[in-house]
Amino acid sequence: MRPILLSGHERSLTQIKYNAEGDLLFSASKDHVINVWHSHNGERLGTYDGHNGTVWTIDVDSTSTFLVSGSADNMMKLWNVRTGECLKTWEFTTAIKRVMWSEDDSKILAVTEQRMGYKGAVRVFEINREAGATQSEEPLITITPSGSKATVAAWCALDQYIVTGHENGTLNLWDMDGELFYEKEDRAHQELITDMQMSPDGTYFITSSKDKSAKIWSVGPDKNAQGDEDYLTLIKTFTGEPPLNSAAILPGKPYIICGGGQEAMAVTTTGARHGHFEIRFWHRVFEEEVARVKGGFGPCNTVAVHPQTKGYAIGGEDGYVRVHHFDDDFFNAKPYGASLEPED
Amino acid sequence: MPALQSWADDVESHDFPPRTETTDKDGITTIVEYKLNDEGKKVKVTRKIKRTLVKSKVNHVVAERMGWTKFGAEKGHKAGPDTATTTVGENVRLKLTAGGIKKDEPEEDSHSALQAQLAGRKITCRLCQGDHYTTRCPYKDTLGEVLGGEDNPDAETSGAGALGDNPTPSEMRAAGGKYVPPSMRAGAKGAGESMNNKNRDDLPTLRVTNLSEDCTDSDLWDLFQRFGRINRIYVGKDQETGLCKGFAFVSFESRAEAEKAMGKINGLPYDHLILACSWSVPKGTVEAK
Repeated sequence: MRPILLSGHERSLTQIKYNAEGDLLFSASKDHVINVWHSHNGERLGTYDGHNGTVWTIDVDSTSTFLVSGSADNMMKLWNVRTGECLKTWEFTTAIKRVMWSEDDSKILAVTEQRMGYKGAVRVFEINREAGATQSEEPLITITPSGSKATVAAWCALDQYIVTGHENGTLNLWDMDGELFYEKEDRAHQELITDMQMSPDGTYFITSSKDKSAKIWSVGPDKNAQGDEDYLTLIKTFTGEPPLNSAAILPGKPYIICGGGQEAMAVTTTGARHGHFEIRFWHRVFEEEVARVKGGFGPCNTVAVHPQTKGYAIGGEDGYVRVHHFDDDFFNAKPYGASLEPED
Repeated sequence: MPALQSWADDVESHDFPPRTETTDKDGITTIVEYKLNDEGKKVKVTRKIKRTLVKSKVNHVVAERMGWTKFGAEKGHKAGPDTATTTVGENVRLKLTAGGIKKDEPEEDSHSALQAQLAGRKITCRLCQGDHYTTRCPYKDTLGEVLGGEDNPDAETSGAGALGDNPTPSEMRAAGGKYVPPSMRAGAKGAGESMNNKNRDDLPTLRVTNLSEDCTDSDLWDLFQRFGRINRIYVGKDQETGLCKGFAFVSFESRAEAEKAMGKINGLPYDHLILACSWSVPKGTVEAK
C-alpha cells in the first residue's frame, strides 16, 4: 500500500472521520482548522475556519450535509459541509471533547470537559435540519455523571441509549431522560478510555484505552452467567504493548485496527527500545494480532476505517493524515484460514 | 531578470515554439516541448505517453460531491490534488498472517496445523512457502542453502564471531540482551542530546554488501522476511540510474532473528555474487573511533 500523506495541519491530529459513503475524509487538529479531503486521491476540498482553539472532535451526519465540531475554545459549531460556512455556534463553560450525530441525524451529543469547578456533562441538542442557522440554544437532555468524568460517548441501540466511557475506565448507559440506565459493575478498562467507535449496525462497539487494550462490547440486553440481564457484555479483548489512542472495527472483514504508541512527551524519558507507533491489525474473532503496519513518525492519535472497507486512515501526533487503500492481497486473504473459510 | 519568475513566463519570454501534442492511432500521445536546460541551452523534449481512462462506478451522491467547488483555504484553487498538501508516501506492507504474531504459541498448535495441512493436501515448498514441491522451487539454488542447513554450527559461530568484532552490540549484550538507552549506559553524560534518529540506530541492523545491480527492495524483503519481522530495508541506490549500488541495510525487530539471518546470508550465493553480511555500525560510533 502506498499511503497518501495529507499535510493540511500544522499540529497533531485529534480526530478523523469518513462520511457515510467514504468519499470524504474530515480531519481535526490542534491547529484550530478542520479540513475535508477527497479520500480517493487526497485532494483537499476545503477548510472550516472559525475555531480559536484545539478542535478536539468532529462528526458528519449520514447525508454529508452538516458537520459538527467541538473545540477547546468552549464552542461547538455546526457547519455546512458543502460551503464551509458556520451555521450555528453554541458556547459552553468548558471545552467540548466529543460530539456525535444520532442515527437519524436529528440530534447531536456533546461531551464537555470537567474543569475550573464546572462538572463534565453530556448534553443532547435537537437539530432542526430545515432551519439551518436557527437552532435551539438549550439542550434537550443534560447528563451529569457523578463519579469520574466522561471522556467519550456514543449513541447506541438506534438512539435508545447513550453510552459513556470515563476517565477511570468505566462504561455507563444512559437513557433518553438523562437518567443512568445501566452501570457496568466491573471497570471496563483499567485506565482512561481514549476512543469509542460503533459497529456499522450500532449493536456493538469498540473501546480503546491507555491500559493497552481494546475491547469489543455488545449492547444488550443479554443474559449473563447468573441469568441476569446484562446491557454491556464484553465480547472480545485485544491486549498489546502500547497504550492505545484509537481503535476501529473493519466492516465486512473480521479485523480491527488499533493505533497508539508511547506518549510523545515520554519518548525521550523512557528507555523503551521502540515507541510502538505501528498500526496493529487484530483478528476480531480469534483475538490474535495478524499484522503490523508502519504508521507515522510518532504516536497515532486517531484511526478511521472506510465504511466500505476500501481502506483506512490514521492521524498522528506528527500532523500528517495517512490515507491507505487496501491492495488486492488484503481482499484475497483468507481470514479464517483455508479450511474454515465460510462459503458464499 | 527577477529571481522569482514562474517557468511559464520563462518559456514565453524566450519565444519558443509552442508545445505540441499529437495522438496517433494506437492511442500514444507525443508531446514536444522546448525549454532551457540548467546550462541555459535550448533543448527539445519529446515525451511519448499513453493515457488510459479508468472508469469507476460510484454512488450518485458521491459523483455529485466530486463536482463541488472548493472553499475555505482552498477557495479558487484548481481541481486535482495540490502537491503542497497531498503527497504520496513510502510504500508500506500489510501482510496478514493467519496464525497471529504471538511468539509463545502452544505446541499443540503446530501439530494441529500440520494435520490441517495434510487434510487440505496443500503442497508447500519448504524453501519459499510457495504452492509447489521443494524440488521444483525456482529459488532452490539460492535459498536451498539458507534454510537447508537449519542448525548449521558453522553459521552460528560465524555469526557470533562477527558480533564479537563489533563494540556496540557486545555492549548491548552485556546488559543482559536488553537495549540500554545511551543516556543510561556506563560513561554517559546524562540525557541524550538529540531525539532525531532514535529508532533507526536502536534496531538491530545488518549491512548486506556485494549485492548485484538489479537487486531491489522487494527482492530483499523476500530474502530476509523468512528470518523474522523486519522493520525497514534500505537499499543504496545510484541517484541517477536508480540501480542498486551494491549495499543495503536491513533492520530487524529482534536481535536474535537478525543474528540468525546474518549467519545464513553471509556467504550466500545470490544472483551471480556472494553476499557478505555483517552488523551495521551506527554513524556516531564510526566517527568516534
